[in-house]
Amino acid sequence: MSGDRIEVRGLTKTYEGADPLRPALQNVDLEIPRGRFVSLIGPSGCGKSTLLRVVAGLEEHDTGTVSVFGSTPQNMAAAKAVGLVPQTPALLPWLNVRRNVSLPSRVNRRAGRGSEDPDLLLRMVGLDDSARKYPHELSGGMRQRVAIARAFGIRPDLLLMDEPFSALDEFTREALQLQLLGLWERMSTTVLFVTHSVREAVTLSDTVVVMSARPGRVHEVLHVDLPRPRDRDVVTGPHMHVLEDRVRASLQTAWEAGAAPDDLIPL
Amino acid sequence: MATETPVRPRPDREEGPGRPAARVRRDLFGVGLWLPATVAVLICGFAWTAVAEDQPYLLPLLPEVGGVLVGDPLLFLSNAWSTLQIALLGVGFGAGTAFVLALVMSEAPVVRRAIMPLAVVLNVTPVVALAPALVVAFGFGMAPKVIVTAIITFFPVLINMTTGLRSVPSPVLHVFSTLHASRLEVLLRLRVPSSLPYALAALRVVFPLSIVGAVVAEFVAAGSSSGLGTMIRTSAATARLEYVYAAIACLAAMGVLMLALITVLERRLLFWHESQQ
Repeated sequence: MSGDRIEVRGLTKTYEGADPLRPALQNVDLEIPRGRFVSLIGPSGCGKSTLLRVVAGLEEHDTGTVSVFGSTPQNMAAAKAVGLVPQTPALLPWLNVRRNVSLPSRVNRRAGRGSEDPDLLLRMVGLDDSARKYPHELSGGMRQRVAIARAFGIRPDLLLMDEPFSALDEFTREALQLQLLGLWERMSTTVLFVTHSVREAVTLSDTVVVMSARPGRVHEVLHVDLPRPRDRDVVTGPHMHVLEDRVRASLQTAWEAGAAPDDLIPL
Repeated sequence: MATETPVRPRPDREEGPGRPAARVRRDLFGVGLWLPATVAVLICGFAWTAVAEDQPYLLPLLPEVGGVLVGDPLLFLSNAWSTLQIALLGVGFGAGTAFVLALVMSEAPVVRRAIMPLAVVLNVTPVVALAPALVVAFGFGMAPKVIVTAIITFFPVLINMTTGLRSVPSPVLHVFSTLHASRLEVLLRLRVPSSLPYALAALRVVFPLSIVGAVVAEFVAAGSSSGLGTMIRTSAATARLEYVYAAIACLAAMGVLMLALITVLERRLLFWHESQQ
């Protein structure tokens, strides 16, 4: 176990009552060096969200080991070294934006972890003039930006994001992707990002992990050698399209590798 | 450029605040709102007077009821206060106990398994049947009436709070979990605020119910000497119907005031909830 990477070895997880021959995750091996931006992509049921939750310490696994920078996921959580941005913004509706962003620093103070100034974080996501507003007064994109600012607040060693932009429109999504990259480069943390958008995965990541379903496993690991910082020129350039096609092709074979869901079997 | 963009607003937006939505809003706060209700009240008033003139032992004349209220307001106010005290104390004890119990039950399932069956049985037992037994146990005075009221107000608050404490969306719980928040932090920072809409919804039901409880307790607990319920009982026994209906009018006013209080509370405390949007 080394302190400079996240190591997953032989991870298997079956949900209770599910088919034991088709576990949610089967013998997953993964290695993520510190400071990298890694995406998990794959068809529905490939276990990408499950894998994220296991690394977050939110779920137990059946066999295999998970080591996050030399420590267990639970210890990382206890040390408040993990930030989570779930699929829905998950803000507390009775607190205003500023108090939502500063919430992690007020919870589990025993971990003794320093925190970032909430006003600075809000400025970095462009919401400093919404600091006193409440979540119900914000749009979906703004709420998700607050959730991201909140996750960065504890200066996490590991940032876990579960399809955070999937509910947003195309342009808001692209704007937030670039904003996230800006934040990431400034705060430098390790990111594990679940998405089902090929474009998003290639735009954001250093590495794209393509998974297949039934059972959930790693199908292929692709490296994205686009230069950083990734501005609009890079993202609309030719090499981007080449990489996207490569990921899409891998995704296609991953889709075919997983046994077809029962309702899609032709009669 | 050949395209023509409209420079002026479209016709149906031209009539000032005449846009459909604004027109409806003006109607609601204008005539459309109070006119139907007023007409209904007037019709009831005429019907009442017709019956009262025909059968004086069925309904008293409205001016007589008004006269009794105006003639001795202190009598009604003091009795109203007496009933209100019982109602408020009853709600305080009933809702307060339910609140605490719901908190405990949400953290300790074994307590829930122990208490819930008892609570259900208590809820389905007609509480008024308990009242005479309570008078035997606790004597005359406020205690048995407050207990009856507390029992009536207990169950709805318990059920609502139990549901409310469990209504935190799981993504929020996940975020707190990755922060390794303690159970107490989750309870105080997440569950209790989330349960507030449910608690206030229960209070909305239970506040008027507490008045019912207090009045019924006054009916049943023999030897009760004050309160609007007692007044109704003694006045009905001596066929002084004006006092009966005057007391009923007071009780109705009390109920309305309590509901207004809850509404104000909801607006202040639940500004963030979908129900207030």
